[in-house]
Amino acid sequence: MSAYLRALRLVNFRNYVDATVLLAPGLNVVVGANAQGKTNLLEAISFAATGSTPRTPNDPEIILWGADFTRAEMRVSMNGDEERKIAVGYAPGQKKRLTIDGVPASSLAAYAAGGAGVRVVTFFPDDLRVVKGAPSDRREFLDSLLASLKPTYARAAAEYARAVQQRNQLLRRIRDGLSSEKTLSTWDRKVVDLGTEVLRGRTAAIGPLGSLFEDAVSALYGPEKAALGYGYSAPLDGYAEALREARGVDVERGTTSVGPHRDDFAVLFGGVSMTTYGSQGQQRLATLALKFAAREYLRGETGQDPILLFDDVMSELDEERRGYLTEYFLASTQAVISTTNLEYFDPEVIERTPIVRISGGSVL
Amino acid sequence: MASYARPVERLITELSKLPSIGPKSAQRIAFHVVRGKPDDARALAEALREVKERIHPCKRCFNLTEAEECDICTDPRRDPSVICAVEDPYDIGPIERTGEYRGLYHVLGGALSPLDGVEPEDLRIAELVERVGREETKEIVVATNPNTTGEATALFIAQELQDRPVRVTALASGLPVGGDLEYADEVTLGRAFAGRREI
Repeated sequence: MSAYLRALRLVNFRNYVDATVLLAPGLNVVVGANAQGKTNLLEAISFAATGSTPRTPNDPEIILWGADFTRAEMRVSMNGDEERKIAVGYAPGQKKRLTIDGVPASSLAAYAAGGAGVRVVTFFPDDLRVVKGAPSDRREFLDSLLASLKPTYARAAAEYARAVQQRNQLLRRIRDGLSSEKTLSTWDRKVVDLGTEVLRGRTAAIGPLGSLFEDAVSALYGPEKAALGYGYSAPLDGYAEALREARGVDVERGTTSVGPHRDDFAVLFGGVSMTTYGSQGQQRLATLALKFAAREYLRGETGQDPILLFDDVMSELDEERRGYLTEYFLASTQAVISTTNLEYFDPEVIERTPIVRISGGSVL
Repeated sequence: MASYARPVERLITELSKLPSIGPKSAQRIAFHVVRGKPDDARALAEALREVKERIHPCKRCFNLTEAEECDICTDPRRDPSVICAVEDPYDIGPIERTGEYRGLYHVLGGALSPLDGVEPEDLRIAELVERVGREETKEIVVATNPNTTGEATALFIAQELQDRPVRVTALASGLPVGGDLEYADEVTLGRAFAGRREI
């Protein structure tokens, strides 16, 4: 049996001064008018579960205006009757305080990679950029999925980024006559070692993720041959040679032109790139399908169903798909879904579903 | 902050140049000195002066010493055929405390880092290569820090010595002894797995 949240308490989080929410297994619906704090509530759950927020890289943003710290606590039901309390405290300029039953977590990477006992899959309207946006948005999707499984992947990706930064600086110094080329092959080797670890992780995941994506697309969209195609800027087995060949250009431009930090993956419906040719509706469905694939992938790898946090997902879907999504959420271990309008759900479902009503940063 | 007498201000300014001492700590230390006994302040001043006048790098290994060569280099019981290369003089202490190592040292003076403008010429790598030729060294143990810059430095040293008849080794990374697996951090444990060996 998988973990689910029983209660969440927020202090100074975005527009919440101090709020407590009780949650049940299966579907939970958060309802409120616009700009009342529905999205913030879902974000807070993600923050408490992973120690960081998917909505912004700038942590101070999440603190209530005028306050100097924030805290999010959760009571998590683990495998039936066991209960665990996890909490994240944050004040700018200080290390985050991550605790599991009062005991400090060994590291943020370990906490985020399931150390807290819960994993989440989030959907925020801005996630459309995973399909629609730049290659970096797609890499971030893949990297954060893999980091939520393995802290060693998170470390390799972070170290790889640092090694590339060092190499780029060296390239510029060589171009400007400040450095000799003597240490370049050393940094090349370091970059290749770490980059290979990143590429191996991504390569192993993209196949299974692609077929889960295809399944999700046919359930959501209809019988369309969907796929994910990873585009290597340097092949896994010829990576070192590719980096060596790029040397001249790299020195000239002062930047590393091949490697996992330049890769992308194509999101394809019937062989057509949704990034370039997808309609808004197709891009939205493709994003949803990616999130569903991420959930199934986590479930396959860990044997645990992640918690689904989907923000305002119903508003732009037709009735048939809303029905499908409702069934999907009802069958999950736990899903916390926000909406402005309860009519997006079947009245019979609403009758037996816990509803969290939000207004002006308060839980009614 | 110019609210104290000039000599006090000056002391605070000097103290806050030290690593990991912020303005508040500097102020606290300065007032501690002001309140303390004159002898204590003089002893501190004397210690600071002496360390700059009498301590300099060892001619052979660049460890810190008062003499021309350091105590380790001149110790006849040490094995001169092995040299352990470290980033800083303070890395020697922990290795010495293991009691496992009986060879000599070589202090590199940092790690390669293009971002900080540190080039091989800024480190004592050429001196190490020269030592290997002169001293008939059989093994170099590279004990740089297990991070990106330390590991790149180790790779570079290995590359510079690849045509020499010398074995270049690096420290294994693994688990702390005496602890429980349960409490090891995932990255260390992951590396220990990658470097597992036959028993």
